[in-house]
Amino acid sequence: MADTTMGGTGAPARPGLFLRNATGLVKSWSTFDAFIYSFWSINLITLGLYGMSFVYTVPDGQLLAGILLFGVLVTFIVITYAMLVSVMPRTGGDYAWQSRVLGGGLGFVLSITGWWFTLFLWAPIYANILVVQFFSPLAYTLGWSGVATFFTSSTGIFVSCLIVLAFASIVVTLGMETYARIQKACFWIGIVGLAVVCALLLFASPQDFQNAFNREATSLFGAPANAYQGTIDAASKTFTGSSFGTFSFGPVLLLLPWLAFYLLWPNWGATLYGEVRGAKEFRKPFWSMFWGLWVTVAMVAVVILLIVKTMGWNFYQSANAAYWNNLYAASGAVAPPVPIWPYPVMFAGWLVDNHPFQALLIIVMGLWFFGWAGTLFLSSTRVIFAAAFDRVLPAWAANISAKRRVPYGALILMIVPSLVISAIYAWKPSFATIFIDATAILALTFFATVVAAIILPWRRKDLYDASPIANYKVAGVPLISVVGVIAGLFLLFMLYQWSFNADNLYGTTLQKTPDSVKYFVATYVVAIVIYVVARVVRRRQGIDLSRIHHEIPVE
Amino acid sequence: MPKVFFATDLHGSEMCWRKFLNAGRFYDAEILICGGDMTGKAIVPIVQENGHYTVTVGGDTQQVEAAQVPDVEAQIRRKGYYPLQMSVERLHELDRDPVKRAETFQQVMLDGVDRWMGMAAEKLRGSGIRVFVCPGNDDEMEVDDVIRRSDFVELGEGRLVEIGDFTMISTGWSNHTPWNTHREETEEQLGERIEAMAKQVPDVSKAIFNLHCPPYKSGLDEAPAIDADMKLLHGGRALRPVGSTAVRDAIERHQPLISLHGHIHESKGAVKIGKTLSINPGSSYEEGMLMGAIVQLDPKKGVKSYQLVNG
Repeated sequence: MADTTMGGTGAPARPGLFLRNATGLVKSWSTFDAFIYSFWSINLITLGLYGMSFVYTVPDGQLLAGILLFGVLVTFIVITYAMLVSVMPRTGGDYAWQSRVLGGGLGFVLSITGWWFTLFLWAPIYANILVVQFFSPLAYTLGWSGVATFFTSSTGIFVSCLIVLAFASIVVTLGMETYARIQKACFWIGIVGLAVVCALLLFASPQDFQNAFNREATSLFGAPANAYQGTIDAASKTFTGSSFGTFSFGPVLLLLPWLAFYLLWPNWGATLYGEVRGAKEFRKPFWSMFWGLWVTVAMVAVVILLIVKTMGWNFYQSANAAYWNNLYAASGAVAPPVPIWPYPVMFAGWLVDNHPFQALLIIVMGLWFFGWAGTLFLSSTRVIFAAAFDRVLPAWAANISAKRRVPYGALILMIVPSLVISAIYAWKPSFATIFIDATAILALTFFATVVAAIILPWRRKDLYDASPIANYKVAGVPLISVVGVIAGLFLLFMLYQWSFNADNLYGTTLQKTPDSVKYFVATYVVAIVIYVVARVVRRRQGIDLSRIHHEIPVE
Repeated sequence: MPKVFFATDLHGSEMCWRKFLNAGRFYDAEILICGGDMTGKAIVPIVQENGHYTVTVGGDTQQVEAAQVPDVEAQIRRKGYYPLQMSVERLHELDRDPVKRAETFQQVMLDGVDRWMGMAAEKLRGSGIRVFVCPGNDDEMEVDDVIRRSDFVELGEGRLVEIGDFTMISTGWSNHTPWNTHREETEEQLGERIEAMAKQVPDVSKAIFNLHCPPYKSGLDEAPAIDADMKLLHGGRALRPVGSTAVRDAIERHQPLISLHGHIHESKGAVKIGKTLSINPGSSYEEGMLMGAIVQLDPKKGVKSYQLVNG
């Protein structure tokens, strides 16, 4: 007979329950381990610096205030998701929650468009980030201008897409245990790299930076003298300038959809929490996501303040404006003296007049990319698995190879369309707006989940009443509903701005981007068609998909 | 054409057991199979003192009046725990004495299984629905005796059972786990146990292998990696295959029509191993959700259809 043990949830002198020895009783996972995953999902360097390079479009938007406000509002999403994890912790995340609460068809269409179809678009986005934050600055720093130029060509962009797809596929093949180790190593080395960047910016004066910028602009890019001022002048053709001290609430709100590009994802791992024993406890997933979010918010605040102090806010915003407006051929735009994306890491490295050091810093900070990009398909494969187990997708979609346990069915469903989309991205720049919409579609998926959370206590009273959060109420109203409403309003605001902003501030206004509208309508139509076909085919096989989530009567 | 409903790893959840008994009528299934690990993992003391009762549920300690105790007990059973009323002295005695604790555990578990057998007979007798139960590695050996005493529920362990044209063999034994539970043995012994039954099956193309432990590296056996201190590694994201090589060998060698598994709650899925359809419906007993598999058998086609459901 197995030993029995005493498990204490109460004070040591007064056990709250007695546990016996049984399979699966494990000690909880480390919040730090889960924090790392959440932290990577809202990657300060890789996603953050890239996303924030667009905020020049709201010159009066006080970025620090915007980030803090965004952090507060996303916290409501974090609470909502942590509560859903504690009520329904099984694998599938958005798909499982939406299906069980909103219904199988609606759940499938909304989550599959977000977690499957839209993630095709993220492969080229990742690839572009890899070019502007790694290949291009590294090649220029090492004097390999031919390589740098190659990666700005259509073929080069496509090659970068292939590298990203290969990397993400290898990670899935290696498995999460191996990648978690890689992530941890990348985390610590990347943190050291960031500390070096911050130290360089902290101890250098604005004049030091201007001198360094002018020196390297000439040395690496052949720019004329005083490229610092030249950058500001180039931007001035299309950009009115920006002051960090300006504060106005309206523009701060307009910053939020830009910040969503990197700060909206602390709940990214929620599709995985189902595999975690202990996830049912509300506090664990909450604190993991919460600290992932707020540590990033704190770090980004430090980086921004250092950029303001040493580079000058107007210069940094001008560099961004000059780069993007020239790339997108904005009316009146001229090429900046330094013709590549203004990568603050590279700029900070220029404070040390040593090219090998600069290259090393770019490589070290590149680990922020490689510690993050491997999870590109991880959540998607989970959602595809869940849909296959529900018989909505064919069984082979969930197949795993016997030897290496590679989920080849789900990988094929991700990689093949991603290749097509990557080719379109590389050779059809006119479709660029579709990629800008990638954030909005995921936000729409989150919104559907939040709606499911709001109505959960009534729609699935059985599950809610049995959950650890059943007693959490505000004035008699379930806390998950109250928090969900706030999170929903926040997401609705951003969805409205993305869709209807009169100035097409985000490049996603529906009226101005007909190609995007057609693409996304098509993805929803395809999702509906898949579900309807599955219903018909399965019915012929004697399978009723509508009963997957129907609760069996208890009495 | 028998329709089978299979669920597993209920771990004492009375709500799941009630749903299991109702699944026959709900899904029009004539055969109900409970795959093992019926018994719960924890006793929740309801401590009587000073005219009220103190109980800790989900980490929250509360005091309730006598009239509320039945509701609290139902809530505890629903989660798969055993409520047990006791005095403060008894609480401390159980806390101090592992032998008494083990005896108490066994008593509440056997009482629980006995009550479940009674519920099954009361609800399904005369319905034409057959119910099979095969205790799993977490169930003490004495559970089998309680099931044997039932005049309605049929014990599956170690037997060949005819289900229409099909033959089912069952075992709840597993390969060794870090928890050293009640029905664990080496892969070799487990292989012999399965083989002893499998070789008696007249037609393996119409065989159902009801084996609690899933086959190794099948995708139905992926559990979160833990260290020697039973702590989850890498935030619980790292998964490792923990299934049985003996079960896999048996499936590959005999190629039954279908194999039914549980044991690893997180590893819900359905995969093909050669000609065999292997299913682990997973378990969400803590939520009161009955995860199960509906399998429509056909004497000519074999498996006509299958579906994993969250009832």
